[in-house]
Amino acid sequence: MDFEPAYTPEQRAFRAEVRAWLADHVPQVEGDQDSDENYAKYRQLGRELGEQGWLRPTAPTEYGGGGLTIDHAIVLAEEMDRHNLTMPPYYDSGGSLGGASILVWGSEEQKRRLLPPIFRGETVTWQLLTGPEAGSDLASTETDAVRDGDEYVINGTKIFIGGSHGADSFWTIVRTDREAPRHQNVSWFMIPADLPGITVERMYLLGDGGEGIGSGYKNTIYFDNVRVPAENLVGGENNGWAVASTHLELEHGSGGRIGRNVTFERTRDRLRSLPSNGAHPLDDTESRGLLADVFMETEVQRLLDLRNFWMNRSHNEMSYEGPQASYFRKMSNLRVAQTLLELLGPYALLDDTEEFDDQQGWFASFQRNAIVQLHPGGTADIQKVIMARRIGIGREVRERAGKTVE
Amino acid sequence: MDLSLTEEQQLLKQSVEDFVAREATREEIVELAESDLGFSPEHYTRVAELGWLGAAIPERYGGAGMGLTDAAVLFEAFGYAALPGPFVSSAVVSALIVEEAATEEQRAELLPRLASGLAIAVLALTEAAYGWGPEGVHMRAHASGGDYLLDGTKLFVHDAIGATHFIVAVRTGDEAGLSLLLVDASSPGVSVRRLDGFTGSECVVRFEDVRVPASAVLGEAGGAETPLERALARATPVLCAYQVGGGQAAFDMAVAYSRERRQFGQPIGRFQHVQNHIIQLVNHVDASRWTTYEALWRLDEGKSGGEVASHLAKAVTSEGFVQAVNFSHEVHAGVGVMHEYGLTLYTQLSRSLYHQLGSPRWHRRRLGDLLVDHDLGPDPLE
Repeated sequence: MDFEPAYTPEQRAFRAEVRAWLADHVPQVEGDQDSDENYAKYRQLGRELGEQGWLRPTAPTEYGGGGLTIDHAIVLAEEMDRHNLTMPPYYDSGGSLGGASILVWGSEEQKRRLLPPIFRGETVTWQLLTGPEAGSDLASTETDAVRDGDEYVINGTKIFIGGSHGADSFWTIVRTDREAPRHQNVSWFMIPADLPGITVERMYLLGDGGEGIGSGYKNTIYFDNVRVPAENLVGGENNGWAVASTHLELEHGSGGRIGRNVTFERTRDRLRSLPSNGAHPLDDTESRGLLADVFMETEVQRLLDLRNFWMNRSHNEMSYEGPQASYFRKMSNLRVAQTLLELLGPYALLDDTEEFDDQQGWFASFQRNAIVQLHPGGTADIQKVIMARRIGIGREVRERAGKTVE
Repeated sequence: MDLSLTEEQQLLKQSVEDFVAREATREEIVELAESDLGFSPEHYTRVAELGWLGAAIPERYGGAGMGLTDAAVLFEAFGYAALPGPFVSSAVVSALIVEEAATEEQRAELLPRLASGLAIAVLALTEAAYGWGPEGVHMRAHASGGDYLLDGTKLFVHDAIGATHFIVAVRTGDEAGLSLLLVDASSPGVSVRRLDGFTGSECVVRFEDVRVPASAVLGEAGGAETPLERALARATPVLCAYQVGGGQAAFDMAVAYSRERRQFGQPIGRFQHVQNHIIQLVNHVDASRWTTYEALWRLDEGKSGGEVASHLAKAVTSEGFVQAVNFSHEVHAGVGVMHEYGLTLYTQLSRSLYHQLGSPRWHRRRLGDLLVDHDLGPDPLE
């Protein structure tokens, strides 16, 4: 077994190149990372990464990706991580997940038309999945699309969508046959965000979900007789559930991730700077025990994500591992949040950058998002339902995982 | 990055599974648990003949020199079968202590005998005031005319029954540090008794005026603390792998039972409460598995953070094994507590191994101390 990528001299040279490039291109920002001004800087960084082929390193070059290997992607992710950034360096889960779905299910024409703007960082895409009537039961969407000539006419509502700086395009699943059986009645569409009849309304929630720069808040999207070109239907009419299985699988954690144990590092940094009466928290046995608890929880999270990253990229057939990592993270972060309350005291709640908080509100976000994160990508309970089917609990035939690679 | 077993490791795993199916069936292992010795010396001899006892022992000392991860694959398969015996205690824990702490001459003398099974050595460290740190060692060995005289009691010594030798942790004379003495189990004054209770191989070992020569000191008198710590950091995740195997068995049994057992007209696994038990179970097993194998990889490859990873693995895995078994019992209900069914083999092991080489509480404590200055890893460019 090998828990880290083996770096060849070529990859070490690549890392040196990336590190130097990022040092020149990662923007200097002040104040709120998510302000309009700062967000624009990160979008610019995304475009520049896209030009290098580094934004979506493993995506095929003919569709605007970098055509690089998984090891290059790891180096890029690690070097971005050193700047506390993800790839892409802003909220674009619609691009990541939608791009994967189009790669698997799109026609050649659709791949050439729809993917390059996503893979080059020219556009930001939002995923529109949850509806007021369809949360955990996504397939029961009541947003309808009716064919009219070369267009589909869409009516309905999606909620808990996107982020704080708008999007260039949306994708969603809508009902295209009111009579057909469940799962055989929905279709998957890419929708330009500026079509007439689309209204975006901000939602006010407990936290931002911790989905990165640009995810400051969520929105409700209303479709009122929105006319979408039929060429934007991906995967064929009434085949939307199969298309969705790709991004749902990825969203359930099957893509995995690699990176440093940021929660542990932040916690130790915060402890170092805390004032104390008598023994400093880092010299106190009980506090050290709580720090160990944070480490244990977050190392297991890290290792399950690492395993999934490896399984996904090395094309191992996955089973329950995606929803397992997702479920574990959700529940584990609730436990960590409570441990942090105990360990840091009321400092765990601060976003008082002016005076008493030296971690830019990171711990206040953690407290909020431990709660908010219980639902996105499927509730903790839904992850367990999927795990049970994949493991084959009480059933001889195990359900297979969705297809995440072409 | 590659988290799969190598071809050799897969073959090794298969060989153990074949061996167990052929020579150590579940019925046999259930019977062994009730026997006086608690394990089968024939199994021990066969495992030695197959060359597996030498897994963690270097080739130049008669071992197979496989590396800790390979040894873990082997002992995980033993754990899956709940195969009882001083396998890990002697061939891994004691072998690594000898490798780390003993002189070259002692290594050349002892390790081949541990690898061949001619000698079975177990560590006698813990005492009545139970603890795995050096602070738990109070027993003294007094210098007496070029020899040492041992007097005292070691408690909760795993696998002491059947052992030919003990590696006894003591304080000697004026030395402030720890010393390790190799004591022949047949020496006058040594007595062993298996402890009664919901116990496995735990024993009390008494030393009454036991005379051992000064040459019995492994390495240097008073200098054992650091090498012992190093050896235990390496041995611990191999024991964890045995626990992972046990947890995996508890999982497989629960899934199979969830399919075959029907109540209210359907397999019980269709009930979401039952599903939840198995999901919690597999999460504990996988958390244990990956912390264990990451620790083994760090130690095998000489990566930084091996000691931290070893403490993490034991803390997570000892807790994980107990939880895995508990959830399996929730799925199995009455059937699970019938001796002949076999689940209780794992139940007992999960309780005994919870403590062996340190409980989660102890490892969490060590982890907390080490994390203050823990470096999460070197920069790949440096």
